[in-house]
Amino acid sequence: MASHTDNGEYVEGMYVPFTSPSEVVNDLVNNHAKVSDMWLRGVVAASILLVLGIIGFVMNVVEGVSDRAVWAYYALMFSFILTTASAAPMVAIATRMANAHWRRPISRVAELWSAAGLFSLLLFIPMLWILPPLNDGRRSLWFYDVNDAFFSRVPIYSPHIWMSAAILALVALGVVLLWLSAMPDLALMREHSTGWRQKWAARLSKGWIGSTGQWNMLHHRMGIVGAFYFMMLVFVHFLVSTDFLMVLVPGWIDSLYPLTHAANSLQAGVATVILTMFFLRKFGGYEDYITLDQFWALSKLLFALSLLWFWFWFSSFNVFWYGKKPSEQAVLGYLMTGAYQPAFMAGFVLSFLTPMWFMMWNRVRKSFWGPAVMSVSVLVGTFFDKLRYYVPAWSVNDVGIVQKIGEPGAAHELALDNLPKVNMPGVADVFIVLGVIGGAVLFYLLASRLIPPINIWEQKELVLYKFHKAYHRTEVMVLGKPR
Amino acid sequence: MQDHVQLSQTKINDDLLAGVLGMPKWWLPTVVFLVLVIFTGLGAYGYELNKGLGVSGLNRPVFWGFYITNFVFWIGISHAGIMISAILRLTQAEWRRPVTRAAEVMTIFALMAALSNIMFHVGRPWRLFWVYPYDFSRGIFMNIRSPFVWDPSAVMTYLIGSSLFVYVALIPDIAVVRDKATGRFAPKIYGVLCLGWRGTPRQWRLQAIAGILLSALVLPVFVSVHSIVSWDFAVAIGVEGWHSTIFAPYFIIGAIHSGVSAVAMIMALAVWLWKLDKYLRPDHFDAIGRLLIVVALTWFFFFFVEWIFALYTLEGPELALREFQVFQAPNKWLFLAFLLTAFFIPVPMWMFKRVRRSPMLMFLSTILVNVGMWLERFLIIIPGLARRQPLSFDWGTYNPSIIEILIVLETFAFVALGMLLFAKFFPIIPIFDMKEGMEVREEIKIGRRVVPASIRETP
Repeated sequence: MASHTDNGEYVEGMYVPFTSPSEVVNDLVNNHAKVSDMWLRGVVAASILLVLGIIGFVMNVVEGVSDRAVWAYYALMFSFILTTASAAPMVAIATRMANAHWRRPISRVAELWSAAGLFSLLLFIPMLWILPPLNDGRRSLWFYDVNDAFFSRVPIYSPHIWMSAAILALVALGVVLLWLSAMPDLALMREHSTGWRQKWAARLSKGWIGSTGQWNMLHHRMGIVGAFYFMMLVFVHFLVSTDFLMVLVPGWIDSLYPLTHAANSLQAGVATVILTMFFLRKFGGYEDYITLDQFWALSKLLFALSLLWFWFWFSSFNVFWYGKKPSEQAVLGYLMTGAYQPAFMAGFVLSFLTPMWFMMWNRVRKSFWGPAVMSVSVLVGTFFDKLRYYVPAWSVNDVGIVQKIGEPGAAHELALDNLPKVNMPGVADVFIVLGVIGGAVLFYLLASRLIPPINIWEQKELVLYKFHKAYHRTEVMVLGKPR
Repeated sequence: MQDHVQLSQTKINDDLLAGVLGMPKWWLPTVVFLVLVIFTGLGAYGYELNKGLGVSGLNRPVFWGFYITNFVFWIGISHAGIMISAILRLTQAEWRRPVTRAAEVMTIFALMAALSNIMFHVGRPWRLFWVYPYDFSRGIFMNIRSPFVWDPSAVMTYLIGSSLFVYVALIPDIAVVRDKATGRFAPKIYGVLCLGWRGTPRQWRLQAIAGILLSALVLPVFVSVHSIVSWDFAVAIGVEGWHSTIFAPYFIIGAIHSGVSAVAMIMALAVWLWKLDKYLRPDHFDAIGRLLIVVALTWFFFFFVEWIFALYTLEGPELALREFQVFQAPNKWLFLAFLLTAFFIPVPMWMFKRVRRSPMLMFLSTILVNVGMWLERFLIIIPGLARRQPLSFDWGTYNPSIIEILIVLETFAFVALGMLLFAKFFPIIPIFDMKEGMEVREEIKIGRRVVPASIRETP
């Protein structure tokens, strides 16, 4: 029976809280050992989508890499996964730093999305071939200038090198964070499981025995790796949104956009976690752990981040719109009010207006369905918002423009006079969109078989740190704050 | 809070009302000194009113100087109150309790100081009414497309919201002062001000709801104020360095940086002047130090992005401005001082726990931040205007006159005096919040360890 209260379960209609950490261990280890039908169905469906994606990818490869517009939807999906799956671990990192107890049942739910980071790394590899080097005339952040004795020494593959290093570091940090946080749970699996699961857990738990020194070191390491993950996430968004997006559109110089890209990823990351929580609760058998507390707390965060999205967007828009600079008006016309206006409107309504209007009501926030539906809205809105940036930007073919002008700075003053035709998705693009989503979900599902999706040790701590007691004429909650 | 001191309710009343019911020795001389500085500044302003803006250093092409720099600075400081109070209140951070009142009050006086700078700047303040649409008989409406109409609207809304915020949180404490005050008038005045507060459950519930609602409502106003101030600059395309989309969040995070630093300064002063070290523990300084590290790093990242995008354009005029800011005297010295004081000295200091837990070192480091942040505003505003423009026949360095310097000093004295007067009539640390903090504190024994805990309402 579903429980809306703290850790515990309903026995014959009565709520019985877990009173000891060992009860939590038994329940969660047993639950993880079972392979549910829903998990199998999810794996099959995600695999089918991934196969479609691979077919779409092969169709694009046949077209070649010389025409960037062919790969516009691929770039969109790379960015979408970076914005959603790669940002999801931030829910665990930020709430752990803030010592929020409600995070405990969902920190692993969020961290497991680091596994999908591996998929984003795979997705990134073809993009290295699609974008030309700097000596082909493209603009970049790296100040390459063929006419300048000093700046002509800048490596012509600077965007490729730095972005590769950054995304590799991000994925590595995500995996290390997942491993660190799973180490005590792997030790539990080592003790309580059999077969391949025991062997795998024994190897990865690295002799964990739970000594005081090991715990101190674990918290210390998780804090450091988490902080670096956040910094690297922001840096990756900074690089992607400039060297792989903004520089492709002449005249688009928006210093806030890299931060908007990163803020949007935090919003979409929270939405991803809420949706994952919803599915795990509904179909994963974790209804005793993922309770209303988690949905309520995360929905407040999603509401705040939706407002942040609007503020960042409006700050950029207002400065461009009010400034009336021809090059900036052309950019607004291309990305917002022109042929891609429906995508902009969809993004605006679904990423901001809908969550703002519905999530201001506590009744919506404090429910299971409300935050889940709003998360779908935010994720679909994020997709369209990314579409209206990436697809038009990748459809502008301006290779060689700098050499034609002869002066690098002048390229930014160019207005988009001859707008490229609208890039509508073909069959390959639809396959790629579905395949990338399927691939990310598949990575998550497979990782959830290897590592328990509910953090057992944090859940055990919760039993010790949180309890209810009588207080005058009412009952209150006592929350321990150990660090 | 690990180094908590458990105090009785009587002790809290005695300690926190000591400055209200008595008068420390240093109080009167300090107030007299500040009043003298204020009168000197007002005298300088009177002279400027009489002679015109020509007595200031403002001249072609630099028409925005010390006054606007100071306006932006004080708007920035005013963001501390909401940052500390509203956000920490909404997130239920326990360490906020002794800090909130001083931060909120500073918001109000800083906003007043900011508004006064506009009056000093415009030269003919009797025409300020043109920004308000009160007189439709004039047949014209104010120009709502002008950022100079957005500014007063946003700042006044923020001032009203912040004042309500302070007042609502002050009511239970005013009632305590009412009950303790002696004399003929004081109990009556406090009795009126506390609106008949008796501490009934209903009154407490209403007060708590009002506090939370105001926290949530004042947050968008807080964001709008500095965004609008930043758009005064960013929507203009005529001045290099100003037309940047990042300005709104960059100004806000800079405001939080300087504002939270100012709160840390006031905390240190409260420890020394009112001997409130039982309430402002090293843990509180540690917490605000950690917050400052996060805020300072975020601010520096925004600063970095703003610079990268200025250079990325590779446009001649923009590069010339940046060169003027960084490599030409006197700006180069100011720029160096700005970087060192706003970031490179204080942030490495805060990395050490010993520094974060020391009121003296936190005081010194946060003073540096505010020197740096004042210089930051100066370097954003003046070099862009002073740089030689196409078709311009006049350019050069801006030299502030003694009149401007005196008026700027007056604003600092005004805020300090405001804080001192407030602390004379009302408790600067919220009494009811401290008592609640003592009440909701618990300890849990887990194995051999005792873990601090707090009591929360069950959701």
